[in-house]
Amino acid sequence: MVKVTMIARVSDGLPLAEGLEHFRELNNGSDFEFYKQKAKLLFNKLSLGEPGPSRMSLRIEPYCFHYIMEDGVCYITLCDQSYPRKLAFHYLEDLQREFGKLDRSKIETASKPYAFIKFDVVIQRIRKLYLDTRTQRNLSKLNNDQYKVQQIITREFNEVIGSDENKNAEDASTNLMISNRALPRLSNDIESAIRDSKVMEKVALKWMPAIALVTVICILIWARVALWGVM
Amino acid sequence: MCTLQKQHSANGPPLLNDVAGEYFAPLDINGRRRDADERPELSKGSVEFVAPTEYMVRPPMPPLYFFLIDVSLSSIRNGMLKVAAETIKSSLDKLPGFPRTQIGFLTFDSALHFYNLKSSLTQPQMMVVADLDDPFVPLPDDLLVNLSDSRHVVEALLDSLPSMFEENTNIESAFGPALKAAFMVMSQLGGKLLIFQSTLPSLGFGRLKLRGDDPRIYGTDKEHTIRIAEDPFYKQMAADLTKYQIAVNLYAFSDRYTDIASLGTLAKYTGGEVYYYPSFHANLYKEKFSHELARDLTRETAWEAVMRIRCGKGVRFTTYHGHFMLRSSDLLALPAVDCDKAFAMQLTLEDTLMTTQTVYFQVALLYTSSSGERRIRVHTMAVPVVTDLGEMYRNADTGAIICLLSRLAIEKTLSHKLEEARHVIQLRIVRSLQEYRNLFAVQHRLSGRLIYPESLKLLPLYGLALCKSLALRGGFADAHIDERSAAGFNMMIIPIKKLLKLLYPSLSRLDEYLLKGEDDGKASLQRLVLSAERLDPRGAFLYDDGFRFVLWLGKVLPAEFVKNLLGVEAANSPDLSKLPVIEQNNELSRKLLATLKTLRERDPAFYQHCYLLRQGEQPREGSLLLFNLVEDQIAGTSGYVEWLLQIQRQVQQK
Repeated sequence: MVKVTMIARVSDGLPLAEGLEHFRELNNGSDFEFYKQKAKLLFNKLSLGEPGPSRMSLRIEPYCFHYIMEDGVCYITLCDQSYPRKLAFHYLEDLQREFGKLDRSKIETASKPYAFIKFDVVIQRIRKLYLDTRTQRNLSKLNNDQYKVQQIITREFNEVIGSDENKNAEDASTNLMISNRALPRLSNDIESAIRDSKVMEKVALKWMPAIALVTVICILIWARVALWGVM
Repeated sequence: MCTLQKQHSANGPPLLNDVAGEYFAPLDINGRRRDADERPELSKGSVEFVAPTEYMVRPPMPPLYFFLIDVSLSSIRNGMLKVAAETIKSSLDKLPGFPRTQIGFLTFDSALHFYNLKSSLTQPQMMVVADLDDPFVPLPDDLLVNLSDSRHVVEALLDSLPSMFEENTNIESAFGPALKAAFMVMSQLGGKLLIFQSTLPSLGFGRLKLRGDDPRIYGTDKEHTIRIAEDPFYKQMAADLTKYQIAVNLYAFSDRYTDIASLGTLAKYTGGEVYYYPSFHANLYKEKFSHELARDLTRETAWEAVMRIRCGKGVRFTTYHGHFMLRSSDLLALPAVDCDKAFAMQLTLEDTLMTTQTVYFQVALLYTSSSGERRIRVHTMAVPVVTDLGEMYRNADTGAIICLLSRLAIEKTLSHKLEEARHVIQLRIVRSLQEYRNLFAVQHRLSGRLIYPESLKLLPLYGLALCKSLALRGGFADAHIDERSAAGFNMMIIPIKKLLKLLYPSLSRLDEYLLKGEDDGKASLQRLVLSAERLDPRGAFLYDDGFRFVLWLGKVLPAEFVKNLLGVEAANSPDLSKLPVIEQNNELSRKLLATLKTLRERDPAFYQHCYLLRQGEQPREGSLLLFNLVEDQIAGTSGYVEWLLQIQRQVQQK
């Protein structure tokens, strides 16, 4: 069944809404933290501008991500591998339809993370409809031949997201997971005052060659004068 | 010609940071940024920021309320269940967080009763779990539901709860297993856990013993043990609850021992609160309970919060006092904190001398608002640094000092005897007055007078009041152990103004005030010195400590007056303890109720119940009023004059 649902803006990966999880499956709520970090990686990759297919499934043992991208918004869900792909994509289409009813301009201009957190109520309602694969409604969706799910590509998650990106994300995520790391003490990327200074850059690229040239010319003239006496 | 500033120092340590390119602005001739007035973070003392994603470990949580209710015989008999259900139902519309608010219920006696509140049901379904050794949650979903979606089911449950347990004769209380079960349901999201308990936990883990009845333990080294939790279950549970962002508010109702010291530990370490209604009976105390519960459910709350306070160079915060869980030495974890809580911190001067003229303090609260936004609220305060100790004394804040002293004293009672805690209060006052005296000892010839700055003139008085407060007074016979514990928990969270009123309540003559005609409209109640000699037997007096009213009727008060004010019964019956104050059909009574209403509205956090008392009615007169008249010498304690003499003698000793 549907485990995790996340909605983000494609252009920059800004999280817009997320489904509410009530009960920790088994006893590892932290398992989902791991998969949520993976989903964030996916959002990052999609936001890098490569217009991939608008629908895809990514297998990640023992679950599977399914996502659709529509109108600049990406809808991701994490399901069991045994959960019918057709239903998962119907679920995402339903979400997209509801979310699409919201004001487009608000979505584009949103700057706060989880600006549409109130949408989680809708996500919950729709998710409940898809929990049981054997309801009348869901069976008829499964039997509906019109929705061609075979055409949607399935890949392995690790294929799509390279191992470097994976590793970087894990380091960052362990920092963020500690809930008492509330107020960061120092910025992690301290800019070097010397190396990154724009003034220094200008000096190096523009003035240095000119000074070097002038110096060489002066040396040559001096050498001529020194070696051959008066010019 | 203007200068450009490429570097800035935050108002904390004098470290220089580079100004980020997009934040750059030129300075005016005074060295101040030109745009300072347009930027609230540079010109206002209190600012709130929207927190970016780095400040959240999960999406902002929705407001969540879970009710854990004891439905054993005691709760039915005293009417608590009915009042609780009615109050919750009438507050549903005002619960913050619409439309995301989550709600759930769990009742228990010797078994646990879960309620399926799925929105597709018309009636809630109850599931009983009797396995107390290893409690489990019978449903993965729908025990905690979205209030808007399941509103009708929730209302049906609240309507039927009182009648469901009306005939319940079960006296057992499986509090520990019930608490664990509630934790399991709430742990994924967090939220506020409101516990309603009427009896001593008796079944399953976490059951409590009848201790605190033994007067011999007072005065011994073991005295403090009855004021702390004996079973490590409570502190461990509190730590787990805080970790999963759950705050506990405990509502305790009983005429017998319920070990508030242990139960209150849950509130103490989760940033919650203890409400204690001793000898609760619905027909008398309904308004008080109802009002305070409604306030708890609807007041502004900050969810999954953490707080940190920082200060400038030369000072350092050493200890923190209040209800919270302390993490990594300076971070206060507050799962759900609200606008009625206050926190105290002690600071110390570091070895290096302070060279600056001003030192800054900044407190930041990172929290999720009820509307689902992650925010950081920052308060910044600048305090002048002086080189003259006398000047510092002259600007001392008695309220803040007393607030800190009271919290230190309450904490001391958890590890030492009451006597020692009281002694430390007196010692601190004496020491501070000694230091002040020494400033003048060289230049002036000081006789046996007590020297103090104007700012501290009431410090000894409040110190005396503190020693006589319910939490710290006397020994075994002077306060019931549960009341003492509850009073202690209360004093750890209330703000300064509330505390000062509690320590030195107001006493006013009521009959003359009520009899004055309308033309005297501007007349207000005059406060009197807290001494029994001010109680005129011909009058009626009102005593108000912010948590209760006591209406004292003098012996010689005309019966006609009493009859008009409170009704025929009050005039005739000798026992006023069970009589509620109801409006009678006359001007006098209406004015009384209006006065009480105005006084109650001054602070919405608590509701003062009005106790009726006739002069000479013992033992109620003592416990309700006379022992609280702090300036009197009563039952072996010092009066104000004796206390001042004691202090003066000790100040002069060194």
